Amino acid sequence: MSELAVEANPVSVGTNATPVLEVKDYKVGFKTERGLARAVDGVNFTLGTGKTLGIVGESGSGKSVLNRSIMGLVVSSRQIEEGSVKFHGQEIVGTNRQPYWGKKMSMIFQDPMTSLNPVMKIGKQIGEPLRMHLGMDKKQAAERATELLTQVGIPEPGRRLKQYPHELSGGMRQRVMIAIALSGEPDFLVADEPTTALDVTVQKYILDLLRKLQVERNMAMTLITHDLGVARGRTDELLVMYGGRSLEQAPTETLFNNMRHPYTEALLESIPTLDHAKHTRLNPIPGSPPDIVNPPKGCRFAPRCKYAQPECVTDDPPSVVDGDHAYACFFPVGTEANQLALEKNIAAGETAVGLPVTKNGQVF
Amino acid sequence: MVKMIATRLVLLVSLLLAVSMITFGSMNLLGDPLFNILGPAVDDPRSADKVAQARADFNLDKNLPHRYGLWLGDVLQGDFGNSYANGVSVNSIVGEKLPRSLLLAGMALVMAVVIAIPMGVFAAARANKAFDKATTFVTFGFVALPNFALGVILYYLFAVRWQIFPLKYIEDEGLFMKLKSMFLPALTLALPIAAVYQRLLRTDLITTLQEDFILMARSKGVSRRKVLFGHALRPSMFSFITVFGLNAGALIGGALVVETIFNIPGAGREIVESIIRDDFPVVLALVLIITGGFVLLNLLVDVLYTVLDPRVRA
Repeated sequence: MSELAVEANPVSVGTNATPVLEVKDYKVGFKTERGLARAVDGVNFTLGTGKTLGIVGESGSGKSVLNRSIMGLVVSSRQIEEGSVKFHGQEIVGTNRQPYWGKKMSMIFQDPMTSLNPVMKIGKQIGEPLRMHLGMDKKQAAERATELLTQVGIPEPGRRLKQYPHELSGGMRQRVMIAIALSGEPDFLVADEPTTALDVTVQKYILDLLRKLQVERNMAMTLITHDLGVARGRTDELLVMYGGRSLEQAPTETLFNNMRHPYTEALLESIPTLDHAKHTRLNPIPGSPPDIVNPPKGCRFAPRCKYAQPECVTDDPPSVVDGDHAYACFFPVGTEANQLALEKNIAAGETAVGLPVTKNGQVF
Repeated sequence: MVKMIATRLVLLVSLLLAVSMITFGSMNLLGDPLFNILGPAVDDPRSADKVAQARADFNLDKNLPHRYGLWLGDVLQGDFGNSYANGVSVNSIVGEKLPRSLLLAGMALVMAVVIAIPMGVFAAARANKAFDKATTFVTFGFVALPNFALGVILYYLFAVRWQIFPLKYIEDEGLFMKLKSMFLPALTLALPIAAVYQRLLRTDLITTLQEDFILMARSKGVSRRKVLFGHALRPSMFSFITVFGLNAGALIGGALVVETIFNIPGAGREIVESIIRDDFPVVLALVLIITGGFVLLNLLVDVLYTVLDPRVRA
């Protein structure tokens, strides 16, 4: 990889000559009555063959809009797209992406209860892309659909083909959805919170299944989640999104071992883990995500950040690139500046935006 | 489902019995049937024999429940009796008039569906765009316009002025001519109905198109047309077929206004004329046929629900 490329794309997954997806300064806006809602505000990433990018963030951070817009699935005359997205080296922003759907790009949706057609048999729903994209006839499609259902771990696949979605459990339906998404043999798969709507007991199964199939088929994948724990071990790279921006991006292990952005830290601290001692208090993130029509002037996370200093409120921190690690913060976690900032806020009893900070450095 | 159909059929029989009793009873409260059979001669002492004869022929010498019982016995054997007005058998009157009304209703419903489905789908696919707004305007017009006005306009334009369609209903010059002469009356009935269907379909489709499974279908690469007709249409048809059942049921009895404007001697006109001249047997026969048809059609609609949506199959 040339140094130039590294500079242009601080975070790049995979080493192939042409990455599957190359996203540069990508912006998506929606015209609203109040003004332009900047749902995605300048995101960069590169995704190589067979790699998984985890996109993590709260609800409303723009992670779903980012992925749906890249696929061109958003239907709204109020949507505005800017920047560049190259799919296999070809610019796709501003073009009709329908020819890619199902065979080159595919998507797994969040809610398997509502994402399958309730009045169409499972077999037909899986068979549709097979017949459309791979030119199979009815019989071949049925055979292939049976294979696909077997691959996603559905018992008695032959019988399932003749059933309707309401006859299957949530976990089964999500497996059917995976089978449908994979049926056209796509190069790029978007998994939009594939386990959020599922029982915890089947979450792990579905996630591991997805990872397994992704590796087997050498697909590029984005895994959207609000749970950092889900991303760990199942992604090669992580992108932490907040208010339409990427706050921190790094290879997954780097990010977990050496996290720089206070938001990433706050996200991780707000999730319970088994290593926590009994009765450990969780640290929820105070406040709510920023208004994307009128974002705060400085750092978007400053109003909720326990390290916030006066410059965080006035200036927008630029993205700092440190090897394959990028983050946008004036006082990155793990640095002396960060420690000093916290001490200053504890001493003052509040942050620069007036968020109260307790003696042991917590905000509620 | 078989159980559902069986229950409904039992219900239908009891409903027909109740309707026939009420109609039979109430018709006998109106006017004197003998007057309708014999005319002014009833009051003439010289025709006492004739009166006695008619009394016996039409069972008018028996009390009401007895007469109902006799009538019911005949009906169960497929005989609706004779008209009071001219003594012609009711079966032959119904056999002559009802098919015309059924043809009219059938053609009107087919036209309404053929017009409404594509219009509803296209309007929903481009909701709030020019086509949708134009159809909204036009459909409200058809719903608001009374049938007789629409009928007269169509009749004047297509039959009188441009002479595309015949001026009256022609039954004996072959099937094509029959259908052609029934076209304008059917269209008169169909347009306002189609307008309602189009509104219902459009609204339900717009709701369906917001569903996750539609986005899912699109992300599979299903073409726009197939998403609309293959994925979205079927789950959007429920209000439409409900109203379809009600319309179809109402049309079985003929359409008085349209039959009158286009001079079609159908069941609609027959039933009104029979009521006016207190011709009980004819009224009773038509009322029962209309009731039965209405219930059967709505049973069919209920069966259709289960065909459309596997989730309601029990």
